[in-house]
Amino acid sequence: MKITEQDLKNISLLSKIKIDEETSNSLIKDLESILTMVNKMDEIDTSKINPLTHPIENTQTLRDDIETKDIEREKLQELSKEKDSGFYLTPKVIE
Amino acid sequence: MSELINLSLTDQILGLANKSFSSREITEAYLNEIKKKESLNCFISVFEEESEEKVLIADENIAKNKARPLEGIPIAHKDIFCIKDKKTTCGSKMLSNFISPYSSEVFSKLDTAGAITIGKTNMDEFAMGSSNETSFYGNVLNPINEKFSPGGSSGGSAAAVRANLCSFATATDTGGSIRQPASFCGVTGIKPTYGRVSRWGMIAFASSLDQAGVIAKNAKDAAIALKYMSGFDQKDSTSLNEEVKDLQKEVDSDQEHIIGIPKELIENIKNDQVRDSFKNAISTLEKDGAKIEEINLPHIQYSLPAYYVIAPAECSANLARYDGIRFGHRSKSVSSLEDLYVNSRTEGFGKEVKNRIFIGTFCLSAGYYDAFYNKALKIRNLIKSDFDEAFKKVSSIAMPTCSDSSFELGSISDPVEMYEQDIYTIPANLAGLPALSIPSGTADEMPIGLQLIGNYLEEGRILNLANKFQKLTDFHEFK
Repeated sequence: MKITEQDLKNISLLSKIKIDEETSNSLIKDLESILTMVNKMDEIDTSKINPLTHPIENTQTLRDDIETKDIEREKLQELSKEKDSGFYLTPKVIE
Repeated sequence: MSELINLSLTDQILGLANKSFSSREITEAYLNEIKKKESLNCFISVFEEESEEKVLIADENIAKNKARPLEGIPIAHKDIFCIKDKKTTCGSKMLSNFISPYSSEVFSKLDTAGAITIGKTNMDEFAMGSSNETSFYGNVLNPINEKFSPGGSSGGSAAAVRANLCSFATATDTGGSIRQPASFCGVTGIKPTYGRVSRWGMIAFASSLDQAGVIAKNAKDAAIALKYMSGFDQKDSTSLNEEVKDLQKEVDSDQEHIIGIPKELIENIKNDQVRDSFKNAISTLEKDGAKIEEINLPHIQYSLPAYYVIAPAECSANLARYDGIRFGHRSKSVSSLEDLYVNSRTEGFGKEVKNRIFIGTFCLSAGYYDAFYNKALKIRNLIKSDFDEAFKKVSSIAMPTCSDSSFELGSISDPVEMYEQDIYTIPANLAGLPALSIPSGTADEMPIGLQLIGNYLEEGRILNLANKFQKLTDFHEFK
């Protein structure tokens, strides 16, 4: 499986992680070797098999709709340096 | 009191109850040993002051005969479990400043049971790694031979138990992260059924595979620890609402066993010492009365490729939360929102985590979703069906934990060669089955493990079989 420079650009854009030009060659090599290993999956015909997203059935149970104090907003926001009046601050997004 | 740290959890519980020694004595002995063995790098945080407060309560409860089940027992948590007001790094620069605003259910349950958390153990970054070398805090050394890897990702927990730095340690297992380090360090590690232990407050890597468990000195100790970690939790939407069996009773009860051996897989083991040790272990159990059946797991060879699509796919989605805004590393060189995302993530994540995000992103992207992700999920179904079929005639399945013993630190640079470490451990995660590793011999003078996989919610059965093996052998004893 070949990974192109364009693939790398797409992956970088989608994952919001920069890929240095210096490391791109070794990264292409790593990704290609992983995808070659992954391609072993093509040996079997799975056209009549259903995908299994989760090992255990009956998941996604919901908790009771009761207010809890497990996580307090103020405590959670202490983790961010950039905040104001209960809001998180980011660089300006509207010109 | 250094001999106290050599005791098993079972003996420590007994000794505390008999008042042969106090929680203060054990805790101080462990804290001294942690200082002495600091160079092993097992711990990211050590809680000396907090332990002092807990010890006072524990010894008071014991004196008043009001001891809780794990009263005064010093334990360690993998640094993936959130503890309120404590740093939880997950082995990453991304979370190096993260003080958790809440506690994980695993911590809360063990804390309620009276255990004293003396520290948090080192691990591969975001639990992605099989050697502990991806930790932002530097790798852990294997206490048996410091040139060797303790395994990963729960290498800190396995090494801490092996080096007598805690009675037992919590750990997590997404593709073998409890069992492989347990095998490399010559200790006992169990990953229970998916959903048996709450994932609430356990930092997510691949949510349909992640499961918390325990690393201990032996199967009996692991059964006790797991018993107090297990149970339904409303806060985890995938938690199983099933009765928690008394594993402590089950581990020592009289049970019959039919062990399934995947013949083809065993014949293909390349390392002679691993194959011979496996055969010896099975013959030991057979002589003790266990029945042995050959089984077929025809799709197990596709576990590794399926896993290295599913796990990175889920990882790329889970780790999207690290945006530099609400918590975690926030880049200082920022002029736009896009910069904030990109620079924070680029600076905060290490190489292996980035690689997995890249693979996951690629496999989930338009044009590749069906060929990779959907295909892997279909193979996952086939692997689960193989196990379902096998468990119609056997009560557990045995195979080696790893294809080799530990390797020298820095000796594996090819990612696929590193991923192959998980070749025997991944299938149980894909199927959500309970599985454990117990010491079963050595290869090149380093320990190797026997893996036992059980049917859903049958942790007690594999622990029982492991305990039988440990009664007949001494591989689990630290010499």
